[in-house]
Amino acid sequence: MSEQVIGRFVKVLRGAELPVSPAETLDAVQVTALLGYQNREALKQGLSLVLAKNEHDKLAFDQCFDAFFRFDGMPPAASAAESEQPSPSMLDRLRDMMPGQQGGSGAGASSALGQQLLADDSARLSRQMAEAARNVGLDNIRVITQKGLYGRRIMQALGGEALDQEIIALDNSGRRKDQRLAAQLRSARDQLREAVREYVADQFVLQAREQGRQLREQMLREANLRTLAEFRDVRQQVEKMARRLARKHGRRQRRARRGQLDGRRTTVMALKHGGVPASLVWRRRRVQKPKLMVICDVSSSVSAAARFLLMFLYAVNDVVPSVRSFAFASRFGEVTSLFNSMRPGQAIDEVMDRYAGSGTDYGSMLRDFLNQCEAELDQRTTVIILGDARNNELPAEQHLLGHIGRRCRQVFWLNPEARSRWGSGDSVMPLYQPYCRDALPCSNLAGLERFVDRLLRDLTRG
Amino acid sequence: MKTRILSVAEVRDSFARQGYVCNDQIAMAVYLAAQLRKPVLVEGPPGVGKTELAKASAAFLEAPLIRLQCYEGLDEARALYEWKYGKQLLYTQLLREQFAGKLDGAGGLEEAMSRLGDLGDAFYSETFLEPRPLLQALRADESPVLLIDEVDKADQEFEAFLLELLSDYQISIPELGTVKARHEPLVFLTSNNSRELSDALKRRCLHLYIPYPDASLEQQIIAARVPEAPQALRKQLVDFVQKLRTLDLKKQPAISESIDWARALLLLHVESLEPALVDSTLNLLLKHEEDIRQVRDDLPSLLK
Repeated sequence: MSEQVIGRFVKVLRGAELPVSPAETLDAVQVTALLGYQNREALKQGLSLVLAKNEHDKLAFDQCFDAFFRFDGMPPAASAAESEQPSPSMLDRLRDMMPGQQGGSGAGASSALGQQLLADDSARLSRQMAEAARNVGLDNIRVITQKGLYGRRIMQALGGEALDQEIIALDNSGRRKDQRLAAQLRSARDQLREAVREYVADQFVLQAREQGRQLREQMLREANLRTLAEFRDVRQQVEKMARRLARKHGRRQRRARRGQLDGRRTTVMALKHGGVPASLVWRRRRVQKPKLMVICDVSSSVSAAARFLLMFLYAVNDVVPSVRSFAFASRFGEVTSLFNSMRPGQAIDEVMDRYAGSGTDYGSMLRDFLNQCEAELDQRTTVIILGDARNNELPAEQHLLGHIGRRCRQVFWLNPEARSRWGSGDSVMPLYQPYCRDALPCSNLAGLERFVDRLLRDLTRG
Repeated sequence: MKTRILSVAEVRDSFARQGYVCNDQIAMAVYLAAQLRKPVLVEGPPGVGKTELAKASAAFLEAPLIRLQCYEGLDEARALYEWKYGKQLLYTQLLREQFAGKLDGAGGLEEAMSRLGDLGDAFYSETFLEPRPLLQALRADESPVLLIDEVDKADQEFEAFLLELLSDYQISIPELGTVKARHEPLVFLTSNNSRELSDALKRRCLHLYIPYPDASLEQQIIAARVPEAPQALRKQLVDFVQKLRTLDLKKQPAISESIDWARALLLLHVESLEPALVDSTLNLLLKHEEDIRQVRDDLPSLLK
């Protein structure tokens, strides 16, 4: 039974962005089996050891634990067998609503719920409430307007209807004693309803808020870049994605010092020891530092994509330390120095201010780039071009791109337009495509992330 | 090794008797680790007693402590096992005649090879195996406490290499096959967080974060470690150190440093903290010139 409770708790933790794996969930079940639910503080410490694995997660864990185990802290199913008590706050709340009832005087009511309300069995009642909540699927609550619905369903599951009917029947009976009983039941029912409402609100805060955030992130990842700039927390989102990529690929760069056995040098060294290979020589891998050159079209139609690509590339700076960036719309220029002197966000704004315009000419951009950088292109250099390749009917000069491609390690082209639109109207994308190692559409953050992931894997493989 | 731990309180009380005063969270980690047979990853700022915890646990469990200090470039050869190359070489030289005799009368190349082949195994046997800490821990006669200290200093590859040990208490050695632990060790890993450890490693461990202690716990620790220090001085000293930790310092004073300081003050027969005295002994608490200068300026207000 405790598996279910832990399962729900893990769901809440995952909602709060704690990466809890199935193996850790199993550990948590073992811990609960070992410690039991009697001592709340001990359980918290024990679960914290297996479920939260860094300082930040520990804080989040504490919050989730306090919120989750506040109401049905002691899981209803497990406590049914033993003499465990629900958390005191809930007991108090339920006990308060028993208006001057002494145990055992519930004989007057005939409905099951009515008897419980009058019998002061608040512990049992709170357990039933939690169970009812689970039965009606309160875990799935999504939006705030569903609160009333779930509250009603829980009341129903508790047997609210029978109680309502009883109250009506008692009211109509005409006997003074029955009417007094009806009044008592009514006030108890109202307070129970209030308790259910509070419980649903608590659960909503736990479940839905987190799910809401996940939905929002999903939406940000898939929204078109052009509309994305208007969102408030999109920058955090990009940084988060970039951090994850940097962590992932930063590791790969620290490669084994030892490579293969170097047979030739081992033999030479062995001569010293009379031909016995006493010391082995290993071939060392040379770590090549990749160079990245990014050319961004910042004309109004695609500037949003440029903004996010730059944001991404400068956020993974740890992995790719050498990035040179160029911007063009009506004119072409290097903007690396802006990024060196300002924070990426500011620098990007500055780039947009200086270079934004219209009338892109990809042919002359390629020529300008070659004039400026041809000497620096080498086999460690990756060139990324971001643009829609809409050339305003000017000559495409694709042979220049071919020349760049031969001089450097690889050329990637990112196009914010969907693949189906490449080549339509004044787009010269099909002319450039053969000269690129790969040409990819990137219309949302998920696409950008995929590209940067692939790029970093490629670059750090060395 | 003690096999049954009854409760968290037992761990805590035993630790306290050894002079390792800790909170319930730490005792809980040791209790769970022993019960669930899982390794514990201990993180926290330097000097809060991460390594001490492993030592205290070894004493509590009456188990031998095997320690592996990690550093950059640590590899299997130094952590797990190595062949005694020198000895192998010496034996080949000394036994040269034996070899010659063994090969005498070999009918052809193939027969000579097969005779040599029989010999080859002799050189890769227990005699020439140098067990390093990890292998020692796996082959110990009783369940040991294995301390893998400052695992964040080792490389990523080494961390990956540890995974098999941590989850199954076994290690695969090419020449010997899979070595399974005779008695499962209780493993402590410590980290100063100089880099983020991999999720795979964290997943296999209980994770214990030891922060700086609060004032009352620190007083208890000092009382346990420096029992001669009078109560009033202890309180004053802990209050001062706690205040220092709230400042923006390059390196904050750890517990080990407050213990050192308490010992020094005791030697100097100090009854209560005086500004001049604090000033002259500040270098016991703070290890950077800038920090000392910064604190020295604020000394009167800090001692209030």
